[in-house]
Amino acid sequence: MADTLIRRCRPLLGTFVEIAVPAGFESAIDDGFAAVAHVHARMSFHEEASDLAALRRAPAGTAVAVDPHSITVLRIACDLHARSGGLFDVAVGAELVASGLLPQPPCHADGNWIGTTGDIVIVDDMHAVCARPMLIDLGGIAKGYAVDCAVEALAVAAVPQAVVNAGGDLRVLGDTPETVHLREADGSVIGAIELANGAIASSSSEYAQRRIGQSVASPHLGRNRQPIWADRAVTICADRCVIADAMTKIALADPALAESMLETLGGEIVARPVRERAL
Amino acid sequence: MTRIPYRILPLAALALPFPAHATVYMTVEQAQAQMFPHQALTQSFRDLTPDQVSAIRKASGESPLSKKLKAWRAADGGWFIVDEVVGKHEFITYAVSLDAAGVVRDVEILDYREAYGGEVRDPRWRRQFIGKRPGQSLKLGADIKNISGATLSSKHVTDGVRRLLATYATVLAHG
Repeated sequence: MADTLIRRCRPLLGTFVEIAVPAGFESAIDDGFAAVAHVHARMSFHEEASDLAALRRAPAGTAVAVDPHSITVLRIACDLHARSGGLFDVAVGAELVASGLLPQPPCHADGNWIGTTGDIVIVDDMHAVCARPMLIDLGGIAKGYAVDCAVEALAVAAVPQAVVNAGGDLRVLGDTPETVHLREADGSVIGAIELANGAIASSSSEYAQRRIGQSVASPHLGRNRQPIWADRAVTICADRCVIADAMTKIALADPALAESMLETLGGEIVARPVRERAL
Repeated sequence: MTRIPYRILPLAALALPFPAHATVYMTVEQAQAQMFPHQALTQSFRDLTPDQVSAIRKASGESPLSKKLKAWRAADGGWFIVDEVVGKHEFITYAVSLDAAGVVRDVEILDYREAYGGEVRDPRWRRQFIGKRPGQSLKLGADIKNISGATLSSKHVTDGVRRLLATYATVLAHG
């Protein structure tokens, strides 16, 4: 049972990543963390050694050599961008820098960051081109992808059962159900589900927003690239955590669109908690 | 489409305060054995002087929470340090290993305690679940291991590691 799992936790991806495996498989935990650390290093907006930094430093229209994992995430991002009619956009770095949610990168003053995810061209498994200048931020998708990579690393190490949880982006490996408590936007725990062989992710404007000076900024942007305010958390289950993670962003802005996309992507909106109204 | 195998667990109808979420990942001894396998560690605790505290604050922008530096010296010249940080709603103990040159090798969370301050509720939101099926009731008071939704930032641990590097340079690098 889940209570017998060995759990370890490291600060990665700007959150706490927890990996749990049965006793006897502890050595595989390092493989899982190594996979997460690799995604962190390649896809961090904050680190100048990352692929995102290489992409924003290169002149628009030039091919940039990046990690195959970055290509995989960019491919998924491009696919979701197309399927969502442009609503899912990883080229929101400029807006997030402007609102203070992301730090200004060193090259920030050089560019007129007008590109969208639609301007990303995947050349091959190791090269991508930004046809127009853009600041890519993978904050809405890379955590889920890192969870998937960790689960794959554990599966390769023949771990029969595991839980990887990156600050609520969570995936269960194996048939043993794991209980996951669902949190409402105000932080209270309002329910629980059991999950096996699948992933779950939640998002809400409320626990993502930051108070900056006098104003409050949200990392979630709607179709007009204006910050959106959903006062309710959304929770999505999917086969892969990268899909669950990314789709929460779409579901916050347009739940009906997210629902129809999930029909084909393999997943569903599990919960849109309704907050109790004061009588 | 694929059906994701999940089922809803109804919560008890009573609103009960949730216990504080406390998770212990590793003991100090387990972390030592993992970071410095087959190596003798020699306890080398220090009391930071006011001058050292201000030097650390100046170098890292962070003030030590405690004047007691809990450090162990490894046979290969590396260091093992146990430290604590306080976040907005949580208290975190973590371990850092440095190599003989003072470069960070590993960071592991030993334990953290989080107070939710929220209450378990059983509102009508469960009706909105798709494909809902009755499950067994949840044991309240059981340790909560998985919570959806990211609330904890690891920034204070990152700040703590930066402070420990300044502490190493100020206090430990000279033996």
